[in-house]
Amino acid sequence: MIEREVKIVNRAGLHTRPAAALVKIASKFNSEVTLIKGDFAINAKSIIGVMTLAAEKGSRLIVQVDGDDENTAIDEICKLFDSGFGED
Amino acid sequence: MSYMDKIQILQQKQLLVKNLLESPFKLEQLTNENIGLSNIIHDKNLYRPQLALTGYIGLFNHKQIQIFGHTECFYLRDMPLEQRIKAFKNIAQFPIPCIILTNNLVLDKELIDIANDSGIAVFKTSYNTTKTQFLLSEFLDDQFSPQAVVHGSFVDVYGIGILFVGRSGIGKSEIALDLIERGHRLVADDVVMLTKKRESLIMGTGTSLVKHFMEIRGLGIIDIRQMFGVRSIRYQKRLEIIVELLEWNRDDDYTRIGLDEEATNIMGVEISTVKLPIFPGKNITVIAEVIAINYLLRTYGYNAAKIFSDNLAVQIQQNKEPGSAFADQRHISYFQADNE
Repeated sequence: MIEREVKIVNRAGLHTRPAAALVKIASKFNSEVTLIKGDFAINAKSIIGVMTLAAEKGSRLIVQVDGDDENTAIDEICKLFDSGFGED
Repeated sequence: MSYMDKIQILQQKQLLVKNLLESPFKLEQLTNENIGLSNIIHDKNLYRPQLALTGYIGLFNHKQIQIFGHTECFYLRDMPLEQRIKAFKNIAQFPIPCIILTNNLVLDKELIDIANDSGIAVFKTSYNTTKTQFLLSEFLDDQFSPQAVVHGSFVDVYGIGILFVGRSGIGKSEIALDLIERGHRLVADDVVMLTKKRESLIMGTGTSLVKHFMEIRGLGIIDIRQMFGVRSIRYQKRLEIIVELLEWNRDDDYTRIGLDEEATNIMGVEISTVKLPIFPGKNITVIAEVIAINYLLRTYGYNAAKIFSDNLAVQIQQNKEPGSAFADQRHISYFQADNE
């Protein structure tokens, strides 16, 4: 299992569209992907779960990936966060 | 590894005096606005500071909420003002979170001023002391209870709280939807919050954001309450059974008889657990209903696996003579003539 900290950089935060984009990428992999904000951990393959975090700009999350393709998975997921989900 | 191993226990959030104002009691603040509202409540127990008012502060527990009933208030009332102030200072010198006066009792302006200066919030309520203590204890018990978040669908099936867990995409939400369609009630989907209420009681609910919304893959987000009406949902339910959905695997061992019950430990409470292999063409919804009814039967004292096993033992006893085994096996002794 590997984990990495990411920061929300886009202005609108982790709202509906970014959440959908994140779930889409997470679901591509076999690994279990967990997203942690504070002590609230949710399954990153569940769109409702991801939106429950209501992560605002500047908040820090921990991405935790566990499975056979965890290295590729964490790279792709973190890239998505760093790019601000293609938003400003 | 079981999916329930990944259950996330939440840290206790700090309870502040101002949270009492948001609670269902009608507390009226007697001290100035903002005085003592950020004090932290460390303890879920309540304290009657009778002895501390007299000056004996040996075992005085200043971390607890102080309840002033008739005893405390009349004790203070019946002494001269100077002594009254001194008595009140006996407890106001400590960093107590707040004071609650019951029966609509009030304190003198001088004493309220001391509380203001010491940063102690003073409230009054119209409830009597017993009722206040009962309501407050109930509220504090809940606030100090261990909590956890789990990924799953929580449905009330025939009055039994069933939590479906399993890897994402295995079809938990679809099973919940199917159960709702058959008249059962959704408690929460995807993110289920569990609270340990008592030693052997776990209650579950959804989150304030998600409520009874649900995601169905290929369809998007739907609102169960709007679609199926208020009778298809409920806010809270006791957790009674966990159904773990698994991909069917030839090598895995699944329960065939049901004499031994499996259980999952959640925050110290054993919850009856069923491991259910799924494959195409298998109707999990009907099985979920049967699980609930079977649980009800067991609760009411009928255990089908046990009865069957006992019947078998009797049969084995009777079959001691060789050759008699199959002759008597037919359920009815002869077929009636109607041939229906």
